[in-house]
Parts: sequence; C-alpha cells; structure tokens
Amino acid sequence: MGEVDESMFELVGLDYKDWTPQEKKKTLRDELKKLPWISIAILSVIILGCVFADFICTHNPSIYYLDHLNEAPSSEFFFGTDSLGRDLYSIIWYGGRTSLMVGFIGMILVTVIGITYGCINGLVNNTGDIVLQRFVELFHSIPTILLALLLTAATGTQNVLSISVIIAIISWFALARIVRSEVRQIRNNDYILAAKITGSNFWHLVTVHLLPNIIPAIMFVVISSISTCITMESTLSFLGLGLPLDILSWGSILSLANRALLLNTWWVIVIPGLFLVVTLCCITSIANYFRKETNKKPNRL
Amino acid sequence: MELKRNYFLEKLLKNMLLFCVAMFLLSIIVFVFARLAPGDPLQAFYGDAIDTMTQVELAAASARLGLDGPLYVQYLDWLMNALSGNFGLSLQYKIPAMDVISPLIVNTLILGITAYLLVFFFAIILAVACALREDSLFDRIVCKIGTAVYFIPAFWLGLVLILIFSVNLNWFPSSGAYDFGMSGNILNRIQHLILPLTVMIVTHVWYYGYMIRNKLLDENRKDYVLLAKAKGLTKRAILWKHSMRNVAPTIINLMAISVPHVLSGTAIAEVVFNYPGIGNMAVTAAKIHDYNLMMLLVIIMGALVISCSIAAYMTNEIIDPRMKDTGGTLWEK
Repeated sequence: MGEVDESMFELVGLDYKDWTPQEKKKTLRDELKKLPWISIAILSVIILGCVFADFICTHNPSIYYLDHLNEAPSSEFFFGTDSLGRDLYSIIWYGGRTSLMVGFIGMILVTVIGITYGCINGLVNNTGDIVLQRFVELFHSIPTILLALLLTAATGTQNVLSISVIIAIISWFALARIVRSEVRQIRNNDYILAAKITGSNFWHLVTVHLLPNIIPAIMFVVISSISTCITMESTLSFLGLGLPLDILSWGSILSLANRALLLNTWWVIVIPGLFLVVTLCCITSIANYFRKETNKKPNRL
Repeated sequence: MELKRNYFLEKLLKNMLLFCVAMFLLSIIVFVFARLAPGDPLQAFYGDAIDTMTQVELAAASARLGLDGPLYVQYLDWLMNALSGNFGLSLQYKIPAMDVISPLIVNTLILGITAYLLVFFFAIILAVACALREDSLFDRIVCKIGTAVYFIPAFWLGLVLILIFSVNLNWFPSSGAYDFGMSGNILNRIQHLILPLTVMIVTHVWYYGYMIRNKLLDENRKDYVLLAKAKGLTKRAILWKHSMRNVAPTIINLMAISVPHVLSGTAIAEVVFNYPGIGNMAVTAAKIHDYNLMMLLVIIMGALVISCSIAAYMTNEIIDPRMKDTGGTLWEK
C-alpha cells in the first residue's frame, strides 16, 4: 500500500451538489411575450365597447324605427336594422353587456359550486366518494340542453340572474370532477393531515391548503366556462327559452333569425353572430394560455 | 370455458341492476321536478275552459290526470303506469305521450347515429393525421382552426349554412326530414340530412379529435414505441397497430361519454333545421309546459345514455383485460 495522492480525489462534503448548467432565468419580458396579446386586445375592445355603450351608440336601442324596417347597413345605421326596426349597431353593444354579464356571473357560480362539490367529494371517505360521484354521473347522463329545457320550463320568464343560475346549475359537473381528482391526489399529503389535526375547518382547508394547489389544474376550465355560459345563454335565447326579446343580448337579437332567413337579411344573422364568435374565440385562446403544459418527453415515433 | 361464461353473465346482470337503479333515480328526479314546477298542468290540459269548471269537475279532472293525492302516491301511480308502457297523456296533444314521440324517434335516430359515427370517423382520422406529424405546420393549423370552430355556437353555424346554401344558392332544403309524401325516398332524406350533419360534425369533431390526438401522443412517448421503431416498423404501422390498440379503450369510453353531448347537439340541429325529431319536440314541450311529454323524453334519452355507458364498460372488459383491475375508469380528467 503506497501513499494515497489526495489530489487525485475530490473531497465530498455534506453540501456537495451535482453540477447543473445554470438555466437562463426567465425575465418578466419573456413571460409577457407569451401572453395571447391579439386576443386580449380584441376582447378588451369588445368589453370596453359594451361598458361604454352609452357613448358610442348612435341610436337609442329601445326605439323601434318603424319606417326603417330591415334596412341594409348604411351610413345612418352602421349594421342595418332588424325586422323590428331596431338599430343593430346600438343593440349589439347593449346586448354585449348582458351576454358578458351572464358569462361572468355564470363563471363565478360554476367555480363556487364546482370547487365546493369537488372538494367535499375529494375529502370524504370511499363510500361517500362513490355516492357523490354517481350523483354527478347521473346528472351528466342527461343531455345538457334537456336539463336546461327542464329548468327554464320550470322557472317561467327569465332575467339575467335567473338565466345565469340555470346555466351554472347545468355546467358545473366537469369542474367538480377535475377538482375531485386533484384533491384526491393531494389529500394524503402531510400538510393536509397537519391542518386537520390542528383543527382547521372545511373552508380553511379548502381556501388555504387545497385551492392554491389545484388552481393551475382548473384555470383552463374556469376561464373557458365563461364561453360555455355565453354560448348556452345565446342558444337558450335563440330557442325562445332564455331571455325575452326586450332584454337585449346577442342570443335574443339572434332569436329574430328565422324571420331574417325568410327576408334574406343577412346582416341580422351574421353581424351579431360574428361578435359572439370572436368573443368566444378570444376567451378560449386566453384560457389556452393557462392550460397545463403537456408531456414534454421526446416523441418516440 | 364454462367458468368464463358465468363470470361474464354475472357482470352483465350486475350492470343490468345498475341500469335499473340509475333509471329509478332519474325518474324520481324528473318526476319531482315536473310536479314542483309552476304552471298548472290542468290549465295546460284544458286551456281556458278551466275557468268555467265547478269544484267537483276540477277534482274529477285532476283525478283523471293523476294529479290528486300526495306526491309519493302520484309518483307510485306514475311508475306503475310507466312500467306497463303508459306514460300518461300529452297535455298539449291530448293523446298518449308515447304516440306523440314514437314516429319522431326514428328520425332522431337516423340523424343522431349518422352524426355520431361520422364525428368519430373524422375525429380519429384527424387525430391520427395530427399525431403522425406532431408540431408540424399541418398539426398546428388543424389545432388552431379546430379549437376556433369548436366554439362556434351550433345554432349560429346552422343559420349561416341555411342562409348560404338554401336561401341564396338553393342547393339544399332548409327544413324538415323529407319533402311532403316522400318519406320513403332515401335520396330526398339524404338531401335534408346534409346541412344538419355538417353542423353536427363541425361543432363536435375537434373536441374528440383533440382528446384522441393527445392520448396518441402520450402513447407515442412510451418505450414499446421505441422498440417497435427499432424493429424497423414504419410510423404508420406503429400508430395503427400498436398505439391505436392501446388507445382503443379510451376511445370507446369517450364514445360512451359523448352520447349526451351528441344528443344535445342533435336537439339544437333539429330545432334550427326544423327537423321532426325528439329534440325539436322537447323544445316545444318545454315552451308549452307539457310535463308528461318532457318526462318521457328525459327518460328515453337517459335510458339511451346509461345503456351506452354500460355497453362501453362491457366492451372494454372484453377487449382489454387490464380494465378488470382498475374498474374501468382509465378516463380521468
């Protein structure tokens, strides 16, 4: 045994770390670059237009111009008039207020119901879990539109709040399922156990410990539920079961479409619909930004 | 061999039982809903004549329609009648609800099943085409357009199609299932189906296509794909013969879950194109508060959906033995 040349070995202490190449730190600018700017810009124009509808509208939305029925777009009526003689340009901005409001109220209700139910479902024992899940599945097995028909038929004439509640009641199931599966993944963690031992109640557990962990997973569903609610409202109003004609919304404007088809007045159908579709697309692309990154392993195909 | 068959039969019976329980619960929910809803059923049935009726006549009328007695008695009466195939009179049409609906079911099934099969046919084709070239220009364009198109409201798409193809170009009829007196003419029926089918396919295809694409991409990242590639198989062969087989249970599950979704779409397409089907009838029934009709419609659609999901569960157990252990819930999130 000869002398050990210490310079050949590296002494490894407690704070030894593998060398890792330093990752380039993401600056705020890189983060901002990834935002869907075009969608945000278009959506803010639409939202601002709806909020300040009083200033940009050229006609009173509640006046029926009976000597200007079904007029094509012109310099006086930018988007033309419908079969009741209303100025489309004005009622679209006012209608947008209602549609967006239904979207946001619906989203808030869906989120509250979905998270509450999902958390309860995720935290109960196995028997309760099965019962609660079957309950959701049972409702899920009725087609959404039929459930909406049942509820609207049962409640009579609608207003903004009641239609939002109805839409929320029929569309929280998907969110509840996701929240449940997320909660079940983290509920056996030590900090949840510790919180339970220290006697925190359900709401404390949900708001302090569970919510921060599940927010990334549910962000996409929460934001796209705005567009689900807007679509549902316009569909119901078009079917004649949602908002009545005198409450302006994009759906109730489109409920005159059958008459427009007979008269072949394309602007009554296409223009409000385009506003609707553009809004929905913008909201979706913003929601997509929050979607969880998918599997980044290399594709082996 | 004998043992295996018994096992299968046992599962089948268990699922039948599950079906009955689910239908029972569904019927209770629907019944309570319909009875608690405002709007007097007597008013709906007799119209204005109700104002001139005496108390005795009113009592007799509500007894005839099964509206007297406490709620659970009413429900048991209704259930007994329903089990013998009698779902009560339609309040609007004054004939048994079943007679109102039965001629419409065939129309809805033609539209619904064709749309359902075509949606999944195109979804799988698109998904495979995208999965073969992940992140290529084609894939990215299809993903972008697909997401945008999925959020176009179905009724508006239908209106625009009518505006273009039947009002202005006059290529296709805008409403109905067949022209008067031509119910047996297949060509005429197809002509009426094209526009509703287009709406159904366009608004549903990418929702499922995208899910299948992502599942395929997840599958392509597994080790056996690398092995197959090392063996020298072509991309196409790996995708169809290896990945697809492993994704098949998911697709079948997805097809079962999608039944209510497609049914909703059918209902909207039926209303827009004024197609005589049960979805269109459901909207009418909701407008005129015809609860007996609505209850029957919900029960029929519910039965359809629940039996589809049980069928999917059974099929999966047959084609994929792994499902027996996991209880058939591979599809989470």
